[in-house]
Amino acid sequence: MFLPLTLLGISILVFLMIGLLSPYQRLATFINSPERLKGADIDKLVELYGLNDPLVVQYGRWLKNLFHGNLGWSYVGKKPVYDALVERFPYTLELALFSIFPIIFLGINLGVISAVNHNRPLDHGLRIFAVVGWSFPDFVFGLFILMIFYSVLGWFPPGNLSLWAEEVVKSSAFRNFTGMTTIDALLNGRLDIFWDAFLHLLGPVLTLTYVQFAFILRITRSSMLEVLQKDYVRTARAKGLDERVVINKHARKNALIPVATVSGQTIIGLLAGAVIVETIFNRTGIGSFMSLAAQQLDYASIMGGTLFFGFILVLGNLIVDISYAFIDPRVRLE
Amino acid sequence: MKKYGVFLLVMLVLVGGTSFAEVKNPDTYIHLGIGEPDTLDPHHAYDTASGEVLGMVYDNLIAYKGESVTEFVPRLSLEVPSAENGLIKDDGKTYVFPIREGVKFHNGSDLTPEDVEYSFERGILADPYAGPMWMIIEALFDYQTIEDMIEDKLQIAWSDIVDEDGNLKSEEYASQLIDFYNQYIDPAIEVEGQNVVFHLVRPFAPFLSILAQNASWSAIMDKETCVSLGLWDGEPDGWWKYHALKKEESPLYEQAIGTGPFVLVEWDRAQQKLTLNRNDDYWGEKPKIAKAIIWGIDEWSTRRAMLEAGDADQIYTPLQYLEQVIDMPGVKMERGARLTITALHFNWTVEKGSQYVGSGQLDGEGIPPDFFSDVHIRRAFSYAFDYDTFIEQVLLGYGFQVPSVIPKGLLGFNEDLPMYSFDLEKAKEEFQEAWDGEVWEKGFKLTLLYNTGNEARQTACEMLKENIESLNPKFKIEVQGVQWPTYLDAYRQGQLPAFIIGWLADYPDPHNFVFTYFHSKGVYGITQGQAFIDFAQENLDSLVEKAIAETDEAERQKLYEEIQTIAYENALGMALYQAEDVYIMRDWVKGWEFNPMRSGEVNWEGVYKEE
Repeated sequence: MFLPLTLLGISILVFLMIGLLSPYQRLATFINSPERLKGADIDKLVELYGLNDPLVVQYGRWLKNLFHGNLGWSYVGKKPVYDALVERFPYTLELALFSIFPIIFLGINLGVISAVNHNRPLDHGLRIFAVVGWSFPDFVFGLFILMIFYSVLGWFPPGNLSLWAEEVVKSSAFRNFTGMTTIDALLNGRLDIFWDAFLHLLGPVLTLTYVQFAFILRITRSSMLEVLQKDYVRTARAKGLDERVVINKHARKNALIPVATVSGQTIIGLLAGAVIVETIFNRTGIGSFMSLAAQQLDYASIMGGTLFFGFILVLGNLIVDISYAFIDPRVRLE
Repeated sequence: MKKYGVFLLVMLVLVGGTSFAEVKNPDTYIHLGIGEPDTLDPHHAYDTASGEVLGMVYDNLIAYKGESVTEFVPRLSLEVPSAENGLIKDDGKTYVFPIREGVKFHNGSDLTPEDVEYSFERGILADPYAGPMWMIIEALFDYQTIEDMIEDKLQIAWSDIVDEDGNLKSEEYASQLIDFYNQYIDPAIEVEGQNVVFHLVRPFAPFLSILAQNASWSAIMDKETCVSLGLWDGEPDGWWKYHALKKEESPLYEQAIGTGPFVLVEWDRAQQKLTLNRNDDYWGEKPKIAKAIIWGIDEWSTRRAMLEAGDADQIYTPLQYLEQVIDMPGVKMERGARLTITALHFNWTVEKGSQYVGSGQLDGEGIPPDFFSDVHIRRAFSYAFDYDTFIEQVLLGYGFQVPSVIPKGLLGFNEDLPMYSFDLEKAKEEFQEAWDGEVWEKGFKLTLLYNTGNEARQTACEMLKENIESLNPKFKIEVQGVQWPTYLDAYRQGQLPAFIIGWLADYPDPHNFVFTYFHSKGVYGITQGQAFIDFAQENLDSLVEKAIAETDEAERQKLYEEIQTIAYENALGMALYQAEDVYIMRDWVKGWEFNPMRSGEVNWEGVYKEE
């Protein structure tokens, strides 16, 4: 019930913002560079696309189409907006799935190690490692990875797949289940394709992991340090419990609540697409699509994409809320 | 970004040099550019990316010979019409094309003269609002759009004939529109046996080049296929329903079925990647490569890395990155000057409400709307730009100055014509004379706009500012970068005091440039303000029209030189440069050839790979 209302509100806000632009500015969607002024009858184009109509009329037209399941035409995607989103989302989801585990795993474990070794050299070393990653702009680190692992070593090429693998995947013999190549390859029993797709994923995964795990590490560490000061930890130690049990069972579990919140945000962020990483590694995700749509004022794509992100955001937060119940039994699902 | 690139390059050399690769994918040619086609409908397509693909899939009647832009070879026509072989008749008003027999489209249907007739008629009637069909319409009928022609012939505006949904406002218009088709359009292109005959209302010198290969607007399509897909059905009744549709509504938006040397396999719009296979049943000489991949990879570093690894054979290289690849092992460079001009033009009557003219008065804090209608101001600006330094430093020497808007390589070009050179003394004199000395005394203030991301134009504006401000402390020029939508808006509203804008030849004839910049109805002519339009109507229009209807080349040369002399004397615009392009490819690329009129960077039919 709450979801459709939120989405409606978002759509009105975005439309109003686009509506502040003049019809000629919005014509940039169709005439997207000085070269395209050739042969263009600008006033007739404005009329043809109804850019001169009152904003309410334009919004009404969009809403009416939406109720018929039509999100409009994407000039950036050169397809109906819905198709363009559906075509790209599996790539974003795949990258998110492959990145999120190393990000969270490294973040939590190194965070705990760091906290346990509070102010010892290992702690300092880990913190420096993390801060460097955190402060590295992703376009620098991404280029670095591309140069080392592609240009020099030839291991992780950019793109989605190699030419031969793409041919197989697009042939009729290969069945598409999820749109995520790695998973589809396994379902089709093609380990060679899985391996190829996996190699293409590693560059972006490595980049995303390094620039993002630091955040989780820092939250885990500070949360862990706080918990380690708690009375019950002292009690646990006092009664002679094994240190590993104290840390892994008693302390860590309690320290994870804020980490869950932050991880949820990270996941949502990843699902919204990683513009820079997608661009550098030439992956066809949703992030680069939306950034292009915004630059070209392709309002149908912007509206469609915003609704989609709104949906993911609401859904993502719901999942985070549910996950609290698993970490902390005091939170009940009621 | 660039700084980091250099830093990383240094790191790379330290890490251990580059990897060498043998010829990868020997039968496949991979070109990395930016972006992707706008549409695959030949009559909507008007960008180089679309033109490139359509030129591979479709054949035209004739093609350019090698690197020439004036000599032709036959393609789907058995002969190139000329006065000598009797296929150009009536003093250049009738062109006859004998159509090749036994040619098949990619879907197996046969090429007939009716297909040729249909292809042109469909384009003329469709005439989309951002399309290239004005060229055919101008050549055949001497109008710019089909709507202009209807308005003139029937004396009714198109908007009065058809409502928003494309239906006729009144039934009586139907018979008028059918008559219009029968009376003008149908007779202009006729089938006579195996020949197709074009009738022009007056001689039009560049007609053959408008038809030549790579001009998608003259591509030959299959009537049967088009009709079955839902394009115009070829009937006079109801043709208006197929006029000026949105580009995404065309059934040919994502399909291309021609007779050409390549067959379109896939247009992957998520990856901006087109895959084409060699047409093994091609009637002519078959391409050497089996597969062509045209891939838009917008990020330079990625393109560069793929070239280095040998996963790409050729990449689009903007000048500012040239130094990163020029010494790369296994990579070579080719050069070529395309027919393109970049010029700064003035707005003689800035529209009201402009934020770029300061106070809007000659009080030292702005300029009056008609500031640039004074020839001395325009001359002063023309003297205040350092053409040579710009070409040397910004274009890295890949370009040259031209007298006016006719590029080198075209009829009418003459490097001995007078042109402005950088001379601050003369600029000062002109400023002192302008507006009866008022400008020099009071000073002025204006804003030059450029669209962000275009570094060359930004630098040009800044150089001009620097030089002009050095003449008089009361002269103030602001240089402001704005996003393209904002620029488009200001440009369209006539609010820019001056603008830098380029033109790439649609067809290799001076008319294409002269009409565009100097005719009162030209694309850029109409944006130089009412005072300019008045000037053009009085001094230029008749000359431009005379030059295009003239069939004698020497006479045309004279007329175009006259137009350029008028442009010089009145300082109509500053032709900043004609740029040369650089083409970066692997050493193993063989058979690469340049033609100034090619869309894209590759001659797909001739190119191949060999160590």
